[in-house]
Amino acid sequence: MASREIAQYPSASRRVFGVVTILFIAFYLLWTLLPLLIMFLSSFKDLLDAFQLPATGDWGGVATLFTFEPTTKHYENLFLELNFGTYLGNSLIASLGSAGISVVLGSMAAYSLSRLDFRGKNHLFFWIISTRMAPVVAVLVPLYAIFRSLDLIGTLPGLILAYTTFNLPFAIWILKGFFDNVPYAIEEASMCDGSTRLQALRMILPLVAPGIGAFLVLCVLFGWNDYLFSSIIGSGGAKTLPPATIGLVQPQNIQWGSIMAAGAVTTVPMLFLGVLIRRYLVAGLTMGAVRE
Amino acid sequence: MTDQVVGDTGRGSRGSARLAAAEAASPSGVRTIDYTPQRFNPTPSRRYYFYMMAPSIILLAGISIYPFIWLVYMSLHTLGEAGQPDVWNDFKNFTRFATDGKFQQGWLLLIKYSAMCMVLEVGLGVFLAVILNRSKLEKFLVTLILMPMMMAPIITGLVWLFLYNGAFGWYHWLLQSIGILGATSVLGDSDIAMFGLVAVDVWQWTPLITLITLAGLKRVPQDQLEANMVDGAGPVRNFFTVAMPNIYPFLLIAVLLRFMDNFRFIDAILILTGGGPGDATNILPVYLFDVSFQYFKLGRGAAVALTLLLVTIVLGMLLVKIFEDPKRKIKVHGGDEG
Amino acid sequence: MVEVNIQNVWKYYGKTVAVKELNLKCPENSFLAILGPSGCGKSSTLRMLAGLEHISAGDIFFGDLRVNQLPPKERDIAMVFENYALYPHKTVFENMANPLRLRNVNREEIDKRVRRAAELLQIEMLLDRKPMQLSGGQKQRTAIGRAIVREPKVFLFDEPIAHLDAKLRAHMRGELKHLQRRLETTTIYVTHDQLEAMSMADNIAVMHEGVLQQFGTPSEIYNHPANEWVAGFVGEPPMNFLNCRLERGADGVVAVHPSFRLALTDAQRRLLEEKGAEAEVRLGVRPDTIAYRAGAGSGLGIAAKVFVTEPLGGDMIVEVQLGADRITVKTKIGPSANLDEPCTIAFDAARIHLFAASNGIAYF
Repeated sequence: MASREIAQYPSASRRVFGVVTILFIAFYLLWTLLPLLIMFLSSFKDLLDAFQLPATGDWGGVATLFTFEPTTKHYENLFLELNFGTYLGNSLIASLGSAGISVVLGSMAAYSLSRLDFRGKNHLFFWIISTRMAPVVAVLVPLYAIFRSLDLIGTLPGLILAYTTFNLPFAIWILKGFFDNVPYAIEEASMCDGSTRLQALRMILPLVAPGIGAFLVLCVLFGWNDYLFSSIIGSGGAKTLPPATIGLVQPQNIQWGSIMAAGAVTTVPMLFLGVLIRRYLVAGLTMGAVRE
Repeated sequence: MTDQVVGDTGRGSRGSARLAAAEAASPSGVRTIDYTPQRFNPTPSRRYYFYMMAPSIILLAGISIYPFIWLVYMSLHTLGEAGQPDVWNDFKNFTRFATDGKFQQGWLLLIKYSAMCMVLEVGLGVFLAVILNRSKLEKFLVTLILMPMMMAPIITGLVWLFLYNGAFGWYHWLLQSIGILGATSVLGDSDIAMFGLVAVDVWQWTPLITLITLAGLKRVPQDQLEANMVDGAGPVRNFFTVAMPNIYPFLLIAVLLRFMDNFRFIDAILILTGGGPGDATNILPVYLFDVSFQYFKLGRGAAVALTLLLVTIVLGMLLVKIFEDPKRKIKVHGGDEG
Repeated sequence: MVEVNIQNVWKYYGKTVAVKELNLKCPENSFLAILGPSGCGKSSTLRMLAGLEHISAGDIFFGDLRVNQLPPKERDIAMVFENYALYPHKTVFENMANPLRLRNVNREEIDKRVRRAAELLQIEMLLDRKPMQLSGGQKQRTAIGRAIVREPKVFLFDEPIAHLDAKLRAHMRGELKHLQRRLETTTIYVTHDQLEAMSMADNIAVMHEGVLQQFGTPSEIYNHPANEWVAGFVGEPPMNFLNCRLERGADGVVAVHPSFRLALTDAQRRLLEEKGAEAEVRLGVRPDTIAYRAGAGSGLGIAAKVFVTEPLGGDMIVEVQLGADRITVKTKIGPSANLDEPCTIAFDAARIHLFAASNGIAYF
């Protein structure tokens, strides 16, 4: 195989391009990271500091962004007075629970779809993924009716089930790709060795485990970041972080400090998870169509 | 010498007369058999697989088929007040689309919004990917760049609401200082609000396009690039004639996915403008949300939802077509075993 | 340890037929090779024997036991796969121990038997490695090891050495045959390589397009091919075929070709009469039974022209233009000839084959 690098020859245009490149990356990083930075900084600022802005056109005034007395009072407010500990727990339980259920049920279905051929398989497959593509707003009302008749509104099991509605089809779709990549011969070899079908399936599970693990994380992320379902299905007893944060937006009194703190609390764990499963992110976010 | 044919390979054949007849027609000197067996063994059961699929399918059916039937029913009936039966409404909810300005505008705005997002995200994302692909710091930079994607859309909306704030928002100040923004705030001006929303979507989702393009660029066949260079192409030409056709299918998938997500995720828009000011950012899903959850016109909402669903399904079929196309489906073989 | 008996077996994949009316018997403890080009149904047959594929019609017996409905686990077979199908996450030891573990053999026994098999295959030093770290030959030995630790009733090999390089393949042929003779287990071996089949098997079943073409010992297959296709498939370089016409002359029966007349032996004449042969026949001659001499009028009966010579060290392949036909001759090494140089060749009447032109069935 040839080396990845293609020979390059210096030229004036290439040098200009090099400078443009660096400028562009610098600008893009600033654009990407600034909102996050301001969120974190503001969450440690007293409101008076947070609302400080320099005069229009006063470029030197940018320094005011960084001049403040750090305070953790917004975080204290969240956890000591606003019950965010409970919401954090709800978020964790709901997203982990749903991810777990989706991955277990999804693996079973994906494995079967990967190994079995039958008429109408493609239609079934399309139907499965279309349940994921349906606009949430469109189906929210009937879903609410179903959940209410099952007495699941405002409960954690209800919320887990609600998240599963979008995680499961996604799980089946992606995990099928993982199983497709494991040669069937390995299971056959195992069966010739004297295993039953179920034992043969257990034999290949370690091979798909990394993919399933990364995928589990992605399901957690989707559940954790959800707002519409948790605000409607989870309202009341199973409030999670996103609706709780929205709760801080009150018509007369938007508690910006606490909102920024809540944003940080919601975002930071996901940033770490994102870095953790970076390798699988593209596959995950494109429903397996693109793999790195 | 006679011209009669007598043939029987003799081995393992029962009923040589039948065999001889069958073998008469074999020009290439091969023994052939031209009949089918009379009795087949019973086909084996595949229940095992169906049992494994059943829980998922039942669950998915519950959350997709019932709501769909419900939507159709609701859109075609006027709900009776307390205890009265529902009344067939002669497609009233659908015929009124013709005169429903907000509905039509909602579609137009959705298309306008999506188009702006796509153009900017693809332009920025692809350019960024090309640059990063040549950078030694690729891994590190990509990790930084993908951060916005991890953020809950609702938190994104809140943070940008803060940044756009006319009194203390840093981006408000920045835009005014540069001289782009006049006295109004970004989200308060019906001419600018849409751009404000587009900026948020671009901020959050350009990294996805970049990641996908990077994955595509890694697969551009090196030999094609080299052949093209030997033919006398420069790097720019190389990109457009060799790399671009290779990443095009990936981009198409990305664009379709983003398009459908614009139908699905309105968290950020709900918190940023809620469709305002006026109806300047009242894209269809937001309008649908208002109809169903602000005015509780469930029948009308269902009709609007059905139109949205229809378009989504068409887009989805398109997407699956691309997925299934073996030429475009490029995967790493053998999973993690390489 | 058991006789394998395939009776009237058919395999359908949807509407496509892979195996048609197959009847085969592999005697106890013997080595049967199923030989054929890709797509001939040989792998399907093996997979039906293993229990990995449903048998569409017909029956398979292991001894007196009809195994149609038995899953692989209950058939007491061991199979070696084309791509080895090792468990990538397990060490060589664990790969080989797997069949024993699944049968709840105790720990010391497992250790003993795996080590014995590893010793036999000379892979004792690799027991702690994972398949990723092994070469092709080592993977293949591990796969064989996994098959022999258990002493099954039947060994099934699906092109086990097809992916090794030529040198290793030649070496493994000998080893596999030795192993089979030592373990004395009924073995069915699928291959597309006639060299493997000829050199290792007690019996060969030649298959093409789902149909058994011929079943016999390697010598029967080589010396008495049942039809033109088998004759052309077995043997390297392949047999030459010439269209001839049979005529009864003063000197008995003669095969007439535009370039030569070849008198047949009395034994051959009797066979033709017995079988009521047609006049139009195909004459088959193996390249190594043709005599060749360079130069015009060099003494052999048939005058021809050299198309090209290909020296192979000790031997030489000469392609000879004989009228409109081109035939291959294998001879001892000699000086290379120029294009179109005249030469003479001769056929050994006792060693030719005749096939019916209409259906390819062999007369002798």
